[in-house]
Amino acid sequence: MDVEMLKPFVEGAAEVLQIEVKTTVDKGNLTLQKSALTTDEVTVMLNLVGDIRGVVLFCLSQETGLKMVSRILEQEFTEFDSMAQSGIAELGNVITGRSTVKLSKAGYRVDISPPTVITGKDVKISTLDFARIVVPLKTELGTIEIHLAIRENKQERLANSDDFAPIIAPQAS
Amino acid sequence: MNVTFLNPFVEAAYEVLIQETGEKIQRGDLSLENGHYVMDDVTVIIALVGAVEGNVFYSMSESTATHLASKMLGENFSKLDGLAQSGIAELSNVITGRAGMKLAQAGYEVTISPPTLLLGKGATISTLDFPRIIVPLQTLEGDLVIHLAIREGIKPAMKISQMIVPPKV
Repeated sequence: MDVEMLKPFVEGAAEVLQIEVKTTVDKGNLTLQKSALTTDEVTVMLNLVGDIRGVVLFCLSQETGLKMVSRILEQEFTEFDSMAQSGIAELGNVITGRSTVKLSKAGYRVDISPPTVITGKDVKISTLDFARIVVPLKTELGTIEIHLAIRENKQERLANSDDFAPIIAPQAS
Repeated sequence: MNVTFLNPFVEAAYEVLIQETGEKIQRGDLSLENGHYVMDDVTVIIALVGAVEGNVFYSMSESTATHLASKMLGENFSKLDGLAQSGIAELSNVITGRAGMKLAQAGYEVTISPPTLLLGKGATISTLDFPRIIVPLQTLEGDLVIHLAIREGIKPAMKISQMIVPPKV
């Protein structure tokens, strides 16, 4: 996996957490995981298609989720209800969105799917033959782990390239 | 319920299952759910982006999964090991890909994401503001259920490089 692809996510996440959640962010060590992910209590999943394809997973505890959503929406959440789920999904969406803007500046055109929120500890999530890079981000409200199982889609990149000039059949004289 | 999006998936599942397992599935009654989905043993998630957007889930019990994987791969799986899981993910991928082709034929260009496989009976998945159409497909060993949490997307603007150059007058 290209480091060029990772940086936008790490930066994007740190920026959004600092601005929206108003917390300091401490990046932990990156690890590579090949076996299935075992979830914490809350997992937000977003898929990427385009020049880069794969899945982005945000894993956190319910306590961290509630604290973050309470801060973002400026409302006290004690239960992980549908509004809280919506809030955490939106956080994942905004982080991924910001990362894809950075990716587009690096020349990668990427689209994001609508998010899904998985609630439940110890669910096994397998990204099959895509290995995952895990980025732990420590905040004042707890740790969020970003799991990236993504790779460059070389075929798509060529087809979408603006450098491609269509072949025009010469006019019959 | 928008049948334009529903039928491609049911047809695709029918065709792919005959091809891969030799089984002719029967479609059960459709239903619509707004709340979260309480997971069965196995769920594969594939996202759609483009003229149709959202998420599609393929869910089933472990016994249905091992039965389908066994038929597809010509092996006798007693449990859903890595190879069988791979088979189920691929099955879902092929069905979604074929559904995507049918959607394109109907004028809806979509791109599908790679599949993600989840094992965790009882956990919940929320598709937020997307209601889900539940499509149970009866196989010889339990149901393969397709959940469609999809809707019409914003049509992407045509890329300048794809516009047809008018002939010189």
